[in-house]
Amino acid sequence: MRLDIAYRLHFTYAERVSESQNEIRVRPRDDLRQQVLSYRLTTTPATRVLQTRDYFGTTVDHLGIRGPHDDLLVVAEASVETSPTGSGPAPVGCERLGDQQFINQHVEYLVPSQHVHWGALVDEVASWAVRGAADDVSERVLAVAQAVPTVLTYERGSTSIGVTLEELIDGGRGVCQDFAHLAVGMLRCIGIPARYVSGYLFALDETRLDEGPDDGRPAAGEGASGAGVDGNSHGIVGEDVFAPERPPAASPTAISVQTHAWIEAAVPGYGWHALDPTNGGSVSERHVVIGYGRDYNDVPPVRGVFNGSADAKVDAEVIIAQPTAPVSMVTEPIRRQARVAVSPSTDVAAQQQAAQQQQ
Amino acid sequence: MAELQRSDADQLAYDEAFDRDGNVRPLYAAIVERFSNFDAAELRRREGIIEEEFRRQGITFTVYGDSQGTERTWPMDLFPRLIAATEWQEIERGLSQRVTALNRFLADIYTGEGAAMADGVVPAWLVQSSDGFERNAFGVSVPHDAHCVIAGIDLVRDAEGQYRVLEDNLRNPSGISYVIENRAAMTRAFPRVWEDHTVEPVGQYGRMLRTALESVAPTGAGDKPLIVILTPGIYNSAYFEHAFLAREMGVELVEGPDLVVDEHVVYLRTIEGLVPVDVIYRRIDDTFLDPVSFRPDSTLGVPGLLGAMRAGTVTVCNAVGNGVADDKAIHPYVTDLIRYYLGEEPILPNVETYVMWEPDQREAAFERLDELVIKPVGESGGYGIVIGRNATDEELANARAEIEADPRNWVVQEVVELSTLASMCDDVLEPRHLDLRPFVITGERTQVFPGGLTRVAMRKGSLIVNSSQGGGSKDTWVLAPQGETQAAT
Repeated sequence: MRLDIAYRLHFTYAERVSESQNEIRVRPRDDLRQQVLSYRLTTTPATRVLQTRDYFGTTVDHLGIRGPHDDLLVVAEASVETSPTGSGPAPVGCERLGDQQFINQHVEYLVPSQHVHWGALVDEVASWAVRGAADDVSERVLAVAQAVPTVLTYERGSTSIGVTLEELIDGGRGVCQDFAHLAVGMLRCIGIPARYVSGYLFALDETRLDEGPDDGRPAAGEGASGAGVDGNSHGIVGEDVFAPERPPAASPTAISVQTHAWIEAAVPGYGWHALDPTNGGSVSERHVVIGYGRDYNDVPPVRGVFNGSADAKVDAEVIIAQPTAPVSMVTEPIRRQARVAVSPSTDVAAQQQAAQQQQ
Repeated sequence: MAELQRSDADQLAYDEAFDRDGNVRPLYAAIVERFSNFDAAELRRREGIIEEEFRRQGITFTVYGDSQGTERTWPMDLFPRLIAATEWQEIERGLSQRVTALNRFLADIYTGEGAAMADGVVPAWLVQSSDGFERNAFGVSVPHDAHCVIAGIDLVRDAEGQYRVLEDNLRNPSGISYVIENRAAMTRAFPRVWEDHTVEPVGQYGRMLRTALESVAPTGAGDKPLIVILTPGIYNSAYFEHAFLAREMGVELVEGPDLVVDEHVVYLRTIEGLVPVDVIYRRIDDTFLDPVSFRPDSTLGVPGLLGAMRAGTVTVCNAVGNGVADDKAIHPYVTDLIRYYLGEEPILPNVETYVMWEPDQREAAFERLDELVIKPVGESGGYGIVIGRNATDEELANARAEIEADPRNWVVQEVVELSTLASMCDDVLEPRHLDLRPFVITGERTQVFPGGLTRVAMRKGSLIVNSSQGGGSKDTWVLAPQGETQAAT
């Protein structure tokens, strides 16, 4: 399926700021299942963009604006050809998960990571999820992916990125990255290697859209990515939710969403098997992969800081279209309040200075 | 006249100055003779001179783990440690070999093919599960593969007098400033001691380090690359050293906010405007370097620094991610890495170390935990170590349970009866255990700075020499080869 993706990120600041620096991870990945036909990233104001590839093979665009500016617009455009997903893994006994070589090969995806820690509660939920599953790894993976939407109700803006898996289960609400994190945690705690996938979903209205009422609740990203630096952190951490806007009637093939998140689990003898816990299961040719990692923190669409005391507002939107059909872009952005400026206290600075290890 | 005690009669350790029969070793004959002429009052007087020298200059260090964050004057014992020229040459060769292999290993991991992992020399999972394995460093190359420009390798001598490697410090090894200051204090307290000895000077360190840092500047940096030392700031325990090195090398001492990145080039803010920076000798941890790519709450780093490193416009020393190679869990594999990369037999052996994720080694260690040393992989500064023979049954049972719960996090080592040397304790010179941290500098080539920091456990019988745990230090003399004469400082 040919898909054209436009990712638009607009930072607007209440006052002029300077020295903003960002890492952007929005370029779709090239792999056996999808081919990137073109990719272009532009910024306003213009700046030199450095493109690199990270440890996980995800393309990173590094960009910064040193001079004073009121806003920063980043537009990434990609055309991708995706193929249908193949047949899933054949049944394989769970004893294969205990194979030392298999464990060693997947060690990064078996241990806790920054956003994926689990305790007794996750353990309990995971055991419950696979209680009826046969002695088959792929059946257990599916059982976990299907159990997540029974534990969490999808609700836009319901969580921020710092939330623990325990808090998620207690709260019972989340966005797609929460669904993915919970699934990854449940899988790891039953010994199945699992990783977090960031990407795009070309979703027409018939997929699951139990969108919560838009009650003007503060955005997911609020208070998200730690205390302020000299200036501020902005990241739309927590905001790359799967949150389809209702497409206007006139445009059946273009839809405005945020980036999406799903998971992959390692099945012995098969490899990585992709599943979408937010949508209760399968991944199709309408899923476009940006990259993967141990959790969100390895593949955030944007991460950055700026210098200044201003509040920042980040509008992020993704427009995906099938160019073969008539297109009408949806440009209404999803507005979110970015975090409020925090000046680091001298205590924090002193603590950090003292904490630097001198061997 | 001061009595120099050889050692306790039943001492197991190798004594640096006296042989097992209590006879002074020829290496120490002159210095023992000289000290024998001082009475207790005289030694106290000279000790006072040393203390005053450090206090006057404000040379202190901070004891962590102490709720008051106590600052103490740098403790230097007045009896020096001597190393014979031939002995030093062997150490020098061994250290060069080791650090060369460690740099190859780091290059292999971050910019190479991962050959050592693919060939099974070091398990890939061990690397991937190391706290020091920094994924952000992936693909960042360093001129001459000098990932570790400054290494501090901790050596101990076993009961036979054999030097062994206890630990590698490849991130931010500290202590070089104390080597230089110890020599200055020694000279002040014992101005005539040099009459009997020709000692390799230590004053050239600044030049040596500067040359190495210049040599790793990115291509295009020009003949006079701009080098800065990036310090966390005055609250850091080693701030004195950061300022000292800046002065010795004649480079700027800066903090994060003094630097700014524009279009993937790092600049120093000066009153004349922005000046491009070529080399950053940083003394802050990896995860604080750049709030964009690492910890977003870091107030110490430089936003956009990682992008500049990736663009190849600046070199950061020591390189990011070195912690994977000085992980205590990797240490047991270093001798094999030397064989693998260099095709040579290791000159300096490791302290015998057992890895707890290998069932055979774990079971064998459990049989005799009370004779071994148990070390947590993730701690440094001597924290969290259990010395089997001093531990209660309960402490050993706890250690065992912790090892079983997380074998990756522990190593177990044979006890090394660290060598001893006369040290001033309550007006008497008594043998105390010590180690040696030489500094190895890599630029275009690898060189070893003469001597290093001798650390001494001032508590009788103690094997913990870390200054953060009440250890002291000694001026360390590498004697010049016979027939040559050199200045002492």
